[in-house]
Amino acid sequence: MNNKFDALKDDDSGDHDQDQGSPKDSEKEKTEDEDKDQNSSKRKMVVPGAGEHPLQYNYTFWYSRRTPGRPASTQSYEQNIKPIGGFASVEQFWRFYSHMIRPGDMTGHSDFHLFKEGIKPMWEDDANKMGGKWIIRLRKGLASRCWENLILAMLGEQFMVGEEICGAVVSVRFQEDIISIWNKTASDQATTARIRDTLRRVLNLPPNTIMEYKTHTDSIKAWVDFHGLVNPSGGR
Amino acid sequence: MIGSILYYALYPLSRYMTSRRLHAGASKKAFPPSMDNDKALCDGGAVTTRTLSQINKLDQWLSQGSGTKGEMEERMKEPSPEQEYDTLQLMVVLHETTKKEADSKMSEGESAVKAEEAETRNGQLQDTVETPEQGDGEITDHHEVFNTKQNTEDGSISPTEDLNQGLAPGSQLACLLTEDSTQESPSPESVTRAEPRVQETTGSVQVQRLEKPMPPAETPAEVTECWDEYLASVAEGGESSSELIFSSLLSNTQPQLKVSGQHETQAGWHFPAGRGLAEELQCPLWQFPAASYYPPIDSTVGFEVTWRVWEKVDESATAAEPLPFTNASMDFTVMSYNILADDLLQANQELYTHCPLEVLDWSYRCSLLLEEIQKWEPDILCLQEVQENHYHQQLYPALSQMGYTCVYKRRTGTKRDGCATCYRSSCFSEVSVATLEFFRPETELLDRHNVGIIVLLRPVVMNGSVVKAKGPPLCVANTHLLFNPRRGDVKLAQLAIMLAEIGSVIKSCNAKGEHCNLILCGDFNSIPSMPLYQLITTGELYFQGLPAWMISGQEDLSHRAYGHRLCVPLWPSSLGITDRCQHTTAYKEESKSRSQKSGKGQYSHDFMRQLRFCPTACIRPLDLQLIPGVTDITPDASSVNQPDKSFSHTISHRLDLESVYQHVLPGSGNPEVTTLHSEGGSTVDYIFYSRRRSATWDPSAGAFAIRGLKLIGSLSLLSEDVLWSMKGLPNDIFPSDHLSLLARFQLDLNAV
Repeated sequence: MNNKFDALKDDDSGDHDQDQGSPKDSEKEKTEDEDKDQNSSKRKMVVPGAGEHPLQYNYTFWYSRRTPGRPASTQSYEQNIKPIGGFASVEQFWRFYSHMIRPGDMTGHSDFHLFKEGIKPMWEDDANKMGGKWIIRLRKGLASRCWENLILAMLGEQFMVGEEICGAVVSVRFQEDIISIWNKTASDQATTARIRDTLRRVLNLPPNTIMEYKTHTDSIKAWVDFHGLVNPSGGR
Repeated sequence: MIGSILYYALYPLSRYMTSRRLHAGASKKAFPPSMDNDKALCDGGAVTTRTLSQINKLDQWLSQGSGTKGEMEERMKEPSPEQEYDTLQLMVVLHETTKKEADSKMSEGESAVKAEEAETRNGQLQDTVETPEQGDGEITDHHEVFNTKQNTEDGSISPTEDLNQGLAPGSQLACLLTEDSTQESPSPESVTRAEPRVQETTGSVQVQRLEKPMPPAETPAEVTECWDEYLASVAEGGESSSELIFSSLLSNTQPQLKVSGQHETQAGWHFPAGRGLAEELQCPLWQFPAASYYPPIDSTVGFEVTWRVWEKVDESATAAEPLPFTNASMDFTVMSYNILADDLLQANQELYTHCPLEVLDWSYRCSLLLEEIQKWEPDILCLQEVQENHYHQQLYPALSQMGYTCVYKRRTGTKRDGCATCYRSSCFSEVSVATLEFFRPETELLDRHNVGIIVLLRPVVMNGSVVKAKGPPLCVANTHLLFNPRRGDVKLAQLAIMLAEIGSVIKSCNAKGEHCNLILCGDFNSIPSMPLYQLITTGELYFQGLPAWMISGQEDLSHRAYGHRLCVPLWPSSLGITDRCQHTTAYKEESKSRSQKSGKGQYSHDFMRQLRFCPTACIRPLDLQLIPGVTDITPDASSVNQPDKSFSHTISHRLDLESVYQHVLPGSGNPEVTTLHSEGGSTVDYIFYSRRRSATWDPSAGAFAIRGLKLIGSLSLLSEDVLWSMKGLPNDIFPSDHLSLLARFQLDLNAV
């Protein structure tokens, strides 16, 4: 923390940083494999209960939090991100959601991710690597409501873009909160436009809210540039 | 010369303003919006400062002119040979053009009067004399009219005439574009825009007229389509006469009016004149006195011209693309009219102190009202403030006789008035009727006795002699929301009930695969652009924290200590209406049917939220890893009632609604008013409609689907100035303290 750069670095700052869900360190292939195994086994287990309202897709909740006091560059993104549980129906979703803290009540440098089963909340995931995300920065106090509206729209299939949606993220930061929704194909402008319009509608955003679309390739590049690494995730 | 002309033209203006100003000092009464200039003076408000200099100038003119005044008057009283010649010429022309229509019994006098009137409406070929009898006495009257009129004409200050003398009629057109073109002129062009004309004797006003550029002259065909009665007046006293034209009236003439063959069909639209023309001439007149805001009736002054002009919608501006095909369509007119219940008039007499007692008499007002309805022949008639006994004794019998089927809903509570929706049985058949009571004893907020009516109609098409219901359904909603300017929250809740009910009706149509067009009209007791209006027209309102008075904006109460602000939830969930102005049950059903039908796992937010605390959701998942502070929350079902969970800060609806009226008068930019009483005028009545968007190809029907209504035209409203010049409302012509709203729509009969 002797100079500004270090301070920034320590704070894990930079654009990519705020777009949580970025893979800072995914060098641990083992973890990834384990996750895959977990997911595949879960996939068979997670089914709607009798009389429940099935979702079009199964989803998994993830949680990540940067450990305080350690430089960001030394922390594995994958180490920090944990699957919380998967669900297949509206009722099951509420089971998880109701037992989780609201994003607006979270402290520290934390993220909730809600991704379709089988898609990791990482840029490098096959489903994400050609994709991008819409980012909305929120002043403090709005995150809980916006996040709930966002994920209900996603789970309820209100975006109407076929299989394009990958997942959604809410990031709690020091001075602001950020919500984003990821889709598969960054180059598909019709899809991204439709997602944007749906966001505006479902989030009840103030009219002057700025929405930014960012491709994951740009996110990776920005991360690499910032950290001066050729290969950000080491092993890949 | 020109200076003195200006003086005479502006003299009454200055008098008007001065008297208003004086009065403003003397009286604390609120000024109507159109008095902004005066307001600025008396309140020291920030409205405008221009007036002051205007008045100064006028004062200068006044003192300047006073030296030449007598001289001027003399000159004015001299008959002008040129003018007589002009008039004669005109009469000849008119005789020729009106030969066909002219009543064979028409006397010289009558034709003279006719000529007079025809001037103003471009020689329209109608029997314009509205006198009830055609006896000799009548003729004499008309002679008098003509003669007195002639006198005032002689005395009129009309630069146009001066300029036009000896000019060919065609070349007078240019003159009409000048400021003076509003002056009375016998040239036919001067009336081609259905220019309203006011003859005033004293203390009359014309504001802004001189600054107004005239719209380009239109071809005669346009104006003839519709006009209102012109009532000449005579100066009987020794007062100096001058002629003034009301700019706001002028502004009613639409530059965008299009020439169209259809005009002829509307040529007969003629506003009821009330009493006969001759009688009108004798009607008491008034001045703006310095001492009292509401002038006493002064029988020495008279004038009256009331113009409500039929305005066609400029198709080039509204039609995105010409339809690539021809579809069967049906035109129909809708009138919305708050007719002022007699009970309410009696209970609020202080609002009508400016009115002569005779115009407040119900039987008189009723006859004017019926005349007005008969004149415009609306196919759908939405009335508010219909008193129950009057409905049964007079209105219903009369309307039935005119071919209307009527639905009446009296307000709950002790007030005897209510709403009535009537439709012409020859045009529409009834599919369903819903009457709404906004009084909900179980909901504290909804303790006011207002009502609404929703009828679902289906166009009726005569196929030979066979009557056939055909075409897409039309939902007509009529309501009268709470007046209380401080209770915007109640108004919003009442509106939400209305919108939810409309939503149900439309949904029931959609369920049958039909698109339902919508008309929502009535007295909303809210002014344009304020939150309630916004909710209707934009479909959304962020209400959190808004002061309750602001919702309607009828009065600016920001200075008062009415601390009440809106907060979430606006109404309790027990009302069964969501923040999207839909019935909660409808939501469930909709979500259910949609998820069942599509099978694609589509759910609305509200549907999903209903399951939030279902039994399954309250059991902690076994596989949920316990992260302290993150996943150790216990679901709290009581939080389901927390406002921010079930009711957002925004209320919205999904009805695509647009107002027929634009709320400012084209040209002048003066605000339109739909209601006026002694505390001022404003727009609170509306006709909203689901507007036709572009046609889309519907592959399943194999046809172009046109949804929505196309607005064809509307009856122009008036500005507050003009209404005050007619002694306010109600008056001899308009029987209520509201004006009628009238719009014509086109409905596509093939729409799916």
